[in-house]
Amino acid sequence: MNALLLLNSLEGFFFGSGKAHVVTGVALIILAGIAVSLWRMDRRLSQLEKESRSDKS
Amino acid sequence: MKGSWNWFWKGGSVLLLTYVVVRGFCTPLQPGLVSATPSQLSVAPQVVDLVAVGQPFATSEDLPASFDVVLRSGDQLIRTDVVAITPHSVRIQIDVPPTMPSRALDAYLFTPASGTLFLGNACFVEDAAKGDVPPEFSASAPDPQEPDLGFSFPYQPNIMESIRNLLWHVPMWFAMFFIMGLGFVASLAQLRTDSIGWDMRAEAAVKTGLVFGLLGLATGSLWARWTWGAWWVSDPQLNGALVTVLLYSGYLVLRSAMGDDDRVGRLAAVYNVFAFVMLVILLMVLPRYTESLHPGKDGNPGFNSYDLDNSLRAVFYPAVIGWGALCYWMYTLRLRMNRCAHHLLSR
Repeated sequence: MNALLLLNSLEGFFFGSGKAHVVTGVALIILAGIAVSLWRMDRRLSQLEKESRSDKS
Repeated sequence: MKGSWNWFWKGGSVLLLTYVVVRGFCTPLQPGLVSATPSQLSVAPQVVDLVAVGQPFATSEDLPASFDVVLRSGDQLIRTDVVAITPHSVRIQIDVPPTMPSRALDAYLFTPASGTLFLGNACFVEDAAKGDVPPEFSASAPDPQEPDLGFSFPYQPNIMESIRNLLWHVPMWFAMFFIMGLGFVASLAQLRTDSIGWDMRAEAAVKTGLVFGLLGLATGSLWARWTWGAWWVSDPQLNGALVTVLLYSGYLVLRSAMGDDDRVGRLAAVYNVFAFVMLVILLMVLPRYTESLHPGKDGNPGFNSYDLDNSLRAVFYPAVIGWGALCYWMYTLRLRMNRCAHHLLSR
């Protein structure tokens, strides 16, 4: 069965060792999602900081 | 006082999530049978290999004699001889009987340390006639054992290792319910008081909740691909989740479309109350009245046993609390950011 799965590398990656990699994929999606959300807030805060500085001057 | 409370829950959520990640990845999976080769049998003596995944059900010192494999056809049992054993497989010799009630055979592997392993429809006998299993081929079931599997996650056919996703995918939705509920309360308060403070709370809650909803959809889709075989299946639970996320996206569209209009707070609050009611109907009420592939509902036995599994529970509950606290943390950050922005713009 494994030889067949290796024909398709994506299938092989996720099925190969009893689907453990699906968990890795799910964990990476969540970490990436939270990172993107934090990065966007960071950008908005930088923008606000710039506005507050230009207000003062 | 407030400072130390903040330290407590924020640090607590980090500690809980660290525990969940470590436990979630390091806990072994209970053994389960996945395949029998060859699976097509004919009426003759033959050798079959049964292969298992998960933690080993035997050590290399174990003797084949202490293991027992029985095949079941309909309600009758067929005897086999265990000839060799490895930590993840067992080789059996079967004398396939000429008559049996059903041509599809289920396999039961009785082990001293890991209890009984089961594989449904393990083999199919092409040329067997219908009838009772002759007495010289039949077996009786060994005594059931009470194995001590230690701290381990239950084996589920097809789901296998991906049961660990329970600690990632499911808490996303719990966190979303929690923060959207908070937004709902804020919107109700906004409608009563018409204050900008409550409006900002509702907006921060919806934005944070949407992050978790989108993550829930994405992780669920990936998991579905490798358990059900498709990225998306038209299923009441899945479609309900998608519609809920789209409804909440509508909230953001409404806000940006209204711009600086004074009525934006009240309108958005009305929309948010409506969206939360729809969330409860679509995700909590409707799926219970329909057939669903997705577990957690009546009519699907897929995950029922995890409800009772103490090992999984000991990691799942901390995961729900940890992700919920992290979600609340992200909500407070966004709220503080929105307050700063409002303060700056109204100067």
